[in-house]
Amino acid sequence: MPWSHRLFVIVGRLAVLAVILVGTEFGVRYGVMSELFFSSPSQIFAALLTQWSSGTFLRDSGITIFETLLGLVMGSLAGMSIGLILPQLRLVANVFEPFLMVLNGIPVIVIAPLFILWLGLGILSKIGISIYIVFFAMFIPVYTASLRLDTTFVDALRVMGASRRQIFWKVIVPSALPSVYTGLKIGSGLALIGAVIGEFVASRSGLGHMILYASGTLDTPTLYLGIITLAVFAAVLSFAIDALGPLLIRWRFSDEK
Amino acid sequence: MLEFRNVSFSFPGRRGAVEVLRDISFTAREDEIVAVIGPSGCGKSTLLSLAVALRQPTAGQVLVDGEAVKGTDRRLGMLFQQTTLLPWRSVVENVELGLEIRGEPKKERRKRALALMKQYGLAGFERKYPHALSGGMQKRAALAQTLAVEPRVLLLDEPFAALDAQTRVAIENDVVKICRAGRRTMVLVTHDIAEAISMADRVLVLSRRPAAVKEIYEIPLSRRAASVADVPGMPEFTQFFKRIWDALDISITGLDAAA
Repeated sequence: MPWSHRLFVIVGRLAVLAVILVGTEFGVRYGVMSELFFSSPSQIFAALLTQWSSGTFLRDSGITIFETLLGLVMGSLAGMSIGLILPQLRLVANVFEPFLMVLNGIPVIVIAPLFILWLGLGILSKIGISIYIVFFAMFIPVYTASLRLDTTFVDALRVMGASRRQIFWKVIVPSALPSVYTGLKIGSGLALIGAVIGEFVASRSGLGHMILYASGTLDTPTLYLGIITLAVFAAVLSFAIDALGPLLIRWRFSDEK
Repeated sequence: MLEFRNVSFSFPGRRGAVEVLRDISFTAREDEIVAVIGPSGCGKSTLLSLAVALRQPTAGQVLVDGEAVKGTDRRLGMLFQQTTLLPWRSVVENVELGLEIRGEPKKERRKRALALMKQYGLAGFERKYPHALSGGMQKRAALAQTLAVEPRVLLLDEPFAALDAQTRVAIENDVVKICRAGRRTMVLVTHDIAEAISMADRVLVLSRRPAAVKEIYEIPLSRRAASVADVPGMPEFTQFFKRIWDALDISITGLDAAA
């Protein structure tokens, strides 16, 4: 893109942001927009200061972030391991496949109360829900990729005298890495959804709890504060996962064709 | 030396066993190139997969230097039609793959792979990924990968089918040179009559399925020619081509037949 186009895009984005901020600020201040439905940036900032000084903002954010990251890491590890190993055991895979597919089909929102029942109102149940949905986001692409492995590679290594173990580590694992990356991208979004759904169903803290409580008490600025915080966290997480790409699948990022 | 001794192969199908190969016997000697040619789908490639133990013969056995092949044999190397360069490894890491599998220390295998790449005109591409290479260079790299472990017997499963004509002749020529220089045994499976005549010392024609050895032709042209590219210009080429074409018994049902 020529620099003039790039400049236009950047200025354009800043302008959109400015219109939203200034528009809501004055819209709410002069009564054009209802205070019940909308909050001005200054009101949201004030809500942040209140939540910050009482210590709830950091605690709620920290808890949700912790649940999300733990859910993402553990769910991904489990999904990746089982997705890689199951196709190596064809009979076992055939036995378990329908169960896994049915479990994957259940909407997470109806599974959530079960996790609350099993693991309580604390963070454990939220981590559990997060692991549950991240697992499938990772398992499905990795499992499918491992099933559709290019057999020429396996044959070539067998002819070279490779053991099953060598074939697993030199062919099967690296050929699944693009799917692991896909799984991480989808899973990072779902990890956050899992944590917040858990907090919505039953909780005493976390951003989901903060949003639900603000909604119940008609505290609109805090409601917006919660949503914006989640949006910022989701964006940061998504950027972090994107940055992992060149490390995980370097060959796909080498630009020479 | 590679010997097929009364090798048969069939696999269980929906309506009983499907017979693919029937009682195939031939020997590819040291410093000899044998081309196996046959109608498409006749089981030419299956023959090679039996030699490298990717499949087991239903009857008979495959021997290397008089010893029966049991499982993967280090004396055999195979060049496949599809690429065997792993996309996540740099070219040099691919070339040293066979040595790595054998547990060769990193320093030594790297040294050998680099020397081999230089010899095959791949210098400067060591750190590139395979997709950055042209089709011809990929094939050269795959050849280096196969030959790095110095197999005595080289098996080629239609490896040049996907290359453009010029690149193809250049690589065919390289393969013949390398093979002769090392006095290796080579078995080339192909559906291309001209390729078979240009490269091989003997051409084996297989019949339709179940495939049996139909004819064997001694072809003195490849050894006499300075390069593979010169063979089609030699006076005897056309006769051999015609004889093999007839032996293949390919019925051409084109426009004439329809009219």
